[in-house]
Amino acid sequence: MAAVISIAGLEKCFGRSVALDGLDLEVSEGEVHGFLGPNGAGKSTTLRILLGLLRADAGTVRVLDGDPWRDVVTLHRRIAYVPGDVNLWPGLSGGEAIDLLGRLRGGLDEQRRAELLGIFELDPTIRGHAYSKGNRQKVAIVAALSSNAEVLILDEPTSGLDPLMEATFRREIRREKARGRSVLLSSHILAEVESLADRISIIRKGKVVETGSLEQMRSHARTNVAATLDGGAARTTAAPALTALPGVRDLLLEGSRVHFSVDDGGLAAAMNTLAAFGVSALTVTPPSLEDLFLQHYGERGSQA
Amino acid sequence: MSGTPFTGTTALLRHALRLDRWKLLPWLLVFGAFPMMSYAAYASVFSTPLEARALQLSLGSNPAFSLLFGQPGDLGTAAGFTTWRVQMFGMFFAALMAVFAVTRHTRAAEESGRAELLDSGVVGRHARLASAVVLAWLASAAVTALVELALMAAGSPTGPAFALGSAFGGMGLAFAGVAAVTAQLGSSGRTANTLAATVLGTSYLLRGLGDTLDNAEWLLWTNPMGWAEQIRPASENDFRPLLLLLAVALALTALAAWLESRRDFGMGMIAPRGGPARGRLGTWGLTVRLNGGAFWTWGIVFIALGSVYGLVATTMSTVFRDNPFVRQMITFRLATEEQLLFAFVEVLLLVLAFIGGVFGIQVVLRFHAEEDEGRAEWLLSAPLSRLAYAAPTVVLAAVGPALGMAAGAAALATSARMAGSELDTAQVVAQGLAEVPALWLAAAVALFLVGLAPRARAVAWLLLVYWLLLTMFGPVLEAPEWLMGTSPFHVVPNVTDSAPDWTPVLWTLAIATGLVVAGLAGYRRRDLSGR
Ligand SMILES: Nc1ncnc2c1ncn2[C@@H]1O[C@H](COP(=O)(O)OP(=O)(O)OP(=O)(O)O)[C@@H](O)[C@H]1O
Ligand SMILES: [Mg+2]
Repeated sequence: MAAVISIAGLEKCFGRSVALDGLDLEVSEGEVHGFLGPNGAGKSTTLRILLGLLRADAGTVRVLDGDPWRDVVTLHRRIAYVPGDVNLWPGLSGGEAIDLLGRLRGGLDEQRRAELLGIFELDPTIRGHAYSKGNRQKVAIVAALSSNAEVLILDEPTSGLDPLMEATFRREIRREKARGRSVLLSSHILAEVESLADRISIIRKGKVVETGSLEQMRSHARTNVAATLDGGAARTTAAPALTALPGVRDLLLEGSRVHFSVDDGGLAAAMNTLAAFGVSALTVTPPSLEDLFLQHYGERGSQA
Repeated sequence: MSGTPFTGTTALLRHALRLDRWKLLPWLLVFGAFPMMSYAAYASVFSTPLEARALQLSLGSNPAFSLLFGQPGDLGTAAGFTTWRVQMFGMFFAALMAVFAVTRHTRAAEESGRAELLDSGVVGRHARLASAVVLAWLASAAVTALVELALMAAGSPTGPAFALGSAFGGMGLAFAGVAAVTAQLGSSGRTANTLAATVLGTSYLLRGLGDTLDNAEWLLWTNPMGWAEQIRPASENDFRPLLLLLAVALALTALAAWLESRRDFGMGMIAPRGGPARGRLGTWGLTVRLNGGAFWTWGIVFIALGSVYGLVATTMSTVFRDNPFVRQMITFRLATEEQLLFAFVEVLLLVLAFIGGVFGIQVVLRFHAEEDEGRAEWLLSAPLSRLAYAAPTVVLAAVGPALGMAAGAAALATSARMAGSELDTAQVVAQGLAEVPALWLAAAVALFLVGLAPRARAVAWLLLVYWLLLTMFGPVLEAPEWLMGTSPFHVVPNVTDSAPDWTPVLWTLAIATGLVVAGLAGYRRRDLSGR
């Protein structure tokens, strides 16, 4: 599949602080790409560069075969954006703001606009300063989704939405995807990314540290194991034997129960060892996105 | 959360002071410099106290002057003369400064979401309001001190200097209270400012009528500006009205706190009206919408001030006849009365031109605020080039003030003619338009800074203040010509001259164009700051 967004070796500094430090990212046509990373990792900065709002210091950035800094007008006809912190014009109603954006795009899908207002239960007659945080966010979502753009760039679009609206949002993004649109979705809500994204990139300190589908990521991430051992062998012999295995970490003993995590290469050996001691109960959990995420975030302090 | 409703006030105050140090500086400079320069000019305006007393008599009986400047107290001393020249304007602007400061840190901060973050920390219910009011009070006290020090440096005795400073500061105190209340009433920063400015405008008008109409002195007791006027610096030096101002400031602030505990965060007492469900705005319509309030407000100011100036200009003829030395105040070596009158009109138009400069800078800074508050980023994610986005602002900043100047000059000429003066309307409007390139330069500087060094954008205000002071006081203080030449407002020729020299105006235009081009080029190439 063709790439709608491809970034290689992207660098961006603000004064002396380095925001992006050799970032690589690729979003294929028709996929929902989740963009995860701790606060200040550089997600919004990347998205702003993709929109030609910031200028890259180094590296190559291509969006829909164009240069986002030079080809602003032509590219933006095909891209819609939801900013992370929507600030509306105090004197303009939500409806006016949506139509302003629509008019700049040369028109919007009227039917879709009406439908989205209904689905998101958004009153378009309220003035900008009177909207709640979540409703401000909805105004930008409606403006973006009622456009005919091929690529949606969404920066934490659901921050402030209630769980019901969050579910609605997910449904709508699936529909957009079914229509063949590509989505780059930055988010801190892991469940959202888990349920929507075809592929995920995790960014840390201005670099993408892991990218791939959730399955791929899981396959080389650590698996959690919890087992209840027969008899009193656990404390005296099982624990040291398990700890000695390569790839086993975070071992914890609670009476006859033992918890540990193991990387994909060590799983078979760990199972054999456990079987040798006699297991009465066993749960093996594949890593959740949260685990993956925390594994990457956890190294935060270790390398500076 | 433990603590009182005021917990966190000092922390918020410190934060506000840090945010505001550059915003307040131009105001403070004007408050210090204006009285000092007036004071210094006195000696070169009048040669004997007798001349001054004669002027005082004719001004005292002139309603147009009383409406604008108040009754002259004692023009026999430099302090009295300074009071007459600067008291009304100083009081007016001190009040405005306080209003803007309080609104900025209460309602406008809530609106932009800045407040929410801070207020969710360990901050009492009234801490934000208290810190804003205290900030405005500190600024007012600074104004009082600055005026006093500046006047004393110019040679004034302490009493009158402090009295004049207190009239300014007192207005700041009282209107900080007014703004504290309007910030609870209005649901947006703009509504709050408009409400407070309406109170101020009404106050100016009431005291103007009290000074002008017969048997209407009681009107001076109905409003803060009337009270502050009655401190009567340099003649009576009566500080009792100051206590009244202080009492009102405290009472209004207490009222504001009471109102605040009765409303929700982000909401006003006056419910906002809804808007239309659909819109047809493009970037041009948006720019007009965003600046519409300023456009109409300044339009009214231009026409109202122009009309009053027309009356002032007309009554000047009698002042000339009675007081030949007044000529020196305006210009030397002018022969006929018509020429003298036109020279005076030129000075009045200059005041309008400075208002036009303020308007132009405001339009440009509004454009920058859109970026600062994160809305430009959203708009520019649509197929809209940066130049196309900036174009309406450039056009409005050029056309708006020019229209205002034309309207103000026309109003001046019309009201002067209705009052029986010999002014030629076409000439007055032409003179007004001749000032336009100068005020464009002010807006062009602002655009240049927004494009290339947005952090330094306040420099545009400082430059305008510098030009104002230089143009108004340079000639009387006998500033060298090369220095005077640095003000585009000074180099505008008199259109009634037989051969007016337009070269400096063309230079002004060329520089303004260059700054606009450079500013736009910079804006196109630089990073857009999000939130
Ligand atoms: N305009 C700017 N000026 C200076 N520094 C900036 C600017 N914008 C971003 N930064 C810095 O760049 C880094 C990356 O910021 P960015 O906003 O991209 O992070 P993010 O991943 O979006 O974080 P979050 O999850 O909190 O939204 C941060 O260290 C931030 O402080
Ligand atoms: Mg971000």
